Amino acid sequence: MTKIKKILLITLLALLALALGACSGRRIVAAGWSGVTATEETVYFSYGPQAYAVSLNNGVQKWQYPAEPINGVDFYAPPILTPDGEQLILGSYKDEIHSVNPVSGLQQWVYTVPVDSRSSIRFIDSPLAKDEMIYAPASNNTLYALDLDGNLQWEYKTEDPLWASPVWSENCQCLYQVSMDRYLYALDPKDGTLLWKSEDLGGPIVSPPAISETGLIIVSTFNNEVIAIDENSQAIEWRFPTENWAWASPVIDGEQVYVSDISGDFYALELATGNILWQIQPGGGIFDSPLILDDLIYFCTDSSSLVVVDQEGVVQRVQPFEGKLYAGPISGGDKLLLAPSEFDFYLIAINPNGVQTWGYPPAD
Amino acid sequence: MWDAFITLMINILLFIYDLIGQNFGWAIIIFTVLVRVVTYPLNARQMKSSKAMQELQNSKKWQDIQKKYKDDKETLAQKQMEIYREMGISPFGSCLPLLIQFPIIIGLYQAIIRTLAVTPLQLVNLSKHINDGANLIPINSQFWWMELSEPERLPILGVGIPILAILVVITSYIQTKMISPTGGAAGDGGQGAQMTQAMTMYMPFLMGYLALTFASGLALYFIATNLATIAQYMITGQANFDNILPKLPSFNR
Repeated sequence: MTKIKKILLITLLALLALALGACSGRRIVAAGWSGVTATEETVYFSYGPQAYAVSLNNGVQKWQYPAEPINGVDFYAPPILTPDGEQLILGSYKDEIHSVNPVSGLQQWVYTVPVDSRSSIRFIDSPLAKDEMIYAPASNNTLYALDLDGNLQWEYKTEDPLWASPVWSENCQCLYQVSMDRYLYALDPKDGTLLWKSEDLGGPIVSPPAISETGLIIVSTFNNEVIAIDENSQAIEWRFPTENWAWASPVIDGEQVYVSDISGDFYALELATGNILWQIQPGGGIFDSPLILDDLIYFCTDSSSLVVVDQEGVVQRVQPFEGKLYAGPISGGDKLLLAPSEFDFYLIAINPNGVQTWGYPPAD
Repeated sequence: MWDAFITLMINILLFIYDLIGQNFGWAIIIFTVLVRVVTYPLNARQMKSSKAMQELQNSKKWQDIQKKYKDDKETLAQKQMEIYREMGISPFGSCLPLLIQFPIIIGLYQAIIRTLAVTPLQLVNLSKHINDGANLIPINSQFWWMELSEPERLPILGVGIPILAILVVITSYIQTKMISPTGGAAGDGGQGAQMTQAMTMYMPFLMGYLALTFASGLALYFIATNLATIAQYMITGQANFDNILPKLPSFNR
């Protein structure tokens, strides 16, 4: 009997270790979805321990960075090119911003955030590269402003993590930074001085706002709401209630604005008033912005579908894919680029009819 | 079914977190103690079975058959079963409540880890478990010197000391030792004693290793559950303090 108990004990301990290990790996693993940026010839994307440059034409890899994964350093935010095209900026999930040569994939500089020993600092979304500066939002509640040599110029702290890229406003010549602390901040790009701050928007904000030519700032919030703020008066112009958390950035298209929530509701609103024009729910949560291309609206859902809708809200196509499509579609020349998670391909290129032209990494 | 269970645990955890002023460290501790209180009937049954088993193994009758049939394992097993039947003791009586608690422990752990969502995919996952918790996000995962979503190290003179992992090893050791039997089964050198010794040795280090490498929220849970168990044994008068410190040899003048 003691033998049976001994086996039972060992099995229990092994099960405990396995069950705990299966939950999250060795520790809480940094896990986002792939971020993609496309130029005329090259697609840059980051996924896990490396960022990649592949040919837009055929998906052949040009380089990967770093050449070998660095223990504990992951990249998920979409890489961005500086205005002069000389640098590709990558924010990591481990305290660092990397500058890489977009042609060779070789490192140019690394800015390491002075680390609070308690936690890793994650750059969840892309930095904004504007003029001679790089503005990088971080999970330690801080927006870092670097020059193009990677030297810190200023930083601005909010109350909660920054998960969304800052947005440039031509109208006020300032940066808008949203925070999980429920506020939108207008900052002077020269020195990070706070120009104004919105009222409490009711819920965390994790995606960049959209700014209309008329000066409306449209913000998605976790308070099941999309809010329009007039950037001149700084007053709230309208509020639109969503069914669930509004995660993805709104997209403005003429007189309409497209917003969504994580229950999978997709809405077209009148930009000026926030009145609903139409609403569809093709199934699956929506976590990233739609793409407007040739009068059609493309968006992805986490039930692994690419949904194509016309501007009247009539669904033209629901195309299933494997893996999870958290990231929205990106346009690259005559192709659409999709970045599935939990799938063999990190990146898929399809033509406008939905036929796959290539996948990366190529199947053996 | 499992998802619904995790959802329930996450929402209770968030309710406590909100109730006590959004301190996730205290929420873990309070939730752990609550779970121990709720599962007390199972623990009490386990303790009762363990005590009965301990008394049986210390009895003369048990010792005698161990000696008599030490070279005949098959007969020994038969005789042991006869004694179990006579005394009305189930040899699995102390294991069954433990097995029932197992999913609760895993569920509690998963609830803690899933609630500490610090990346987009983790937050997507959490969003599927909470109905109306957006006002609690982001979860404040700072607790004293710890970031509960990451393994803990306290920098002392430039060296990161894993305080929680050390506390997990110590409390696990004390907990395991104080419920281990003295004499009889523990001291007869038989398989039961070997198993007890192995458990006493390895269990604290296994728990310590997990605490060292996993999110410190888990280590905090281990410590809270160990201390709750120790308190429970002390309250019910079943704590065996003689086992905790190594016995010093006695010198007779």
